[in-house]
Amino acid sequence: MIDAMIYALPFLWDGFLITLAVSGIVVAASLALGLVFGVILAFGPVWIGLPIRVFADTVRAIPLIVLIFTVYYGLPALQVPLSPFWAAVAALAAFKTGHVIEIVRGAITSIHPGQMEAAKSIGLTFLERLVYVVFPQAVRCFLPPWINSVTDSVKGSALVSLVGVVDLMMAIQQVIGRTYQPMPLYILGAMIYIAVNAALSVASRRLEARFAATVAT
Amino acid sequence: MTERKDRPDAPAAEADIGGRRGALAALGAAAFVGMAATAEKAAAQAPRESLLRTVISRGRLIVGTGSTNAPWHFEDERGQLTGMDIAMARILASGLFDDPNKVEFVRQDPAQRIPNINTGRVDIVIQFMTINPQRAQLVAFSRPYYAEGVALLTSPRSRFKTYAELRAAGAQARASVLQNAGADALVKDALPDAQVMQLDTQANVIQAMESGRADVAVVDLSTVRWLVRRTPDRYVDAGHSYRSQLYGAAMRQSDPDWLNFVNAVFNVNMFGHVSEAYDAAMKEFFNIDPRPRTPGFPPI
Repeated sequence: MIDAMIYALPFLWDGFLITLAVSGIVVAASLALGLVFGVILAFGPVWIGLPIRVFADTVRAIPLIVLIFTVYYGLPALQVPLSPFWAAVAALAAFKTGHVIEIVRGAITSIHPGQMEAAKSIGLTFLERLVYVVFPQAVRCFLPPWINSVTDSVKGSALVSLVGVVDLMMAIQQVIGRTYQPMPLYILGAMIYIAVNAALSVASRRLEARFAATVAT
Repeated sequence: MTERKDRPDAPAAEADIGGRRGALAALGAAAFVGMAATAEKAAAQAPRESLLRTVISRGRLIVGTGSTNAPWHFEDERGQLTGMDIAMARILASGLFDDPNKVEFVRQDPAQRIPNINTGRVDIVIQFMTINPQRAQLVAFSRPYYAEGVALLTSPRSRFKTYAELRAAGAQARASVLQNAGADALVKDALPDAQVMQLDTQANVIQAMESGRADVAVVDLSTVRWLVRRTPDRYVDAGHSYRSQLYGAAMRQSDPDWLNFVNAVFNVNMFGHVSEAYDAAMKEFFNIDPRPRTPGFPPI
């Protein structure tokens, strides 16, 4: 059992890096886009908020696997030649953005409107009001569900193997395909995913504690 | 998720190009058929250039295949793709460019075999694909390059090791088999009274036999040969194979030049004067020595 795991480890390294890359890009892109669209949804006019709401509701309503296949097969038909890697990343990022938009909107609307009005009354610009007044308070509501969605992204990244990207999960399947010994590899895979997500959990608890302290002082 | 192993026994189930995931892949592909239709119509005005010319001017062949099933397509100890399907792709590349390495492999799930052909992601699919009439309505098949069968895998520790012992065991014998519409009938064909245990992946079917949950694993003949040859201390061929089915390469339809070219290369390598690569692959992956080619009446 242990022998089979040690034998497999070198074959999993590249796949592991792909899993980290997919997760990292998806988390960063969805955070950036979700933040912008979430703020627009919370404060913007209806005509611009409506498409965002439709987008967020649509991508969250579609099973992720269908979204991946749609992007993978759809973009070439629209003359956008994307490699399997970027097609899968784009689909995952769109899906995650839908979630982050909701988390951001929820966190912002949990702050009493009086805060915004008070900040306005002392002459802060819109951006200053966001950065100095709303965000520092909203971040406490934002972090727990967002960290949850980050660990979800790491696990969801295993779906990229469906379009032929050799991530950790696909690398595991490749070793099983050669050795026909599934059990040690599945256990090893579980351990690696747990290690990554446990590290994220620890980091998130630190982050939450830090922001809670900042606001308290 | 696990790659779904091609099954010899259930043409009806295979017709859905790989079950649920195949349906989802088809859904994804179909979502854009409407948009592609306009381009298709424009292309129909001018005679469409054969894929043969496109591939030659591109300078490399794009082959859809898998990477998780020995001895068909898998990574060797150095991380290089190898297997019978890979050998056929290299034979084709040699025929195109006199260079077996001018080939790019697109790794795909078996469920993507037909969608990736029909959306033009790959020039050809060589991925242990069973030729059946339902699939032949959707893609063009090359001539077969291997005839797969079903066989019985046991272990030196099994209670019943040979086909005769398994049959004599009657209802005492427990068989593991890949979950499928025709899986029960597949086992009963060889072992009419055996208890059938259906599992979700080929690797798990074999694992069940090894861990003693089943006495025999009912799997592809090539898998049995491969495992027994590589690890005779762990696996035993019970000595019975049945249900032959043909494996062929798949291409898009309405492109006779491309199909004819692929068939010509396969024929020359299987029956003609450049058979070294094909023979070497048959020997390496199936321990089969193809019959010597003799002049005179053509064997095909």
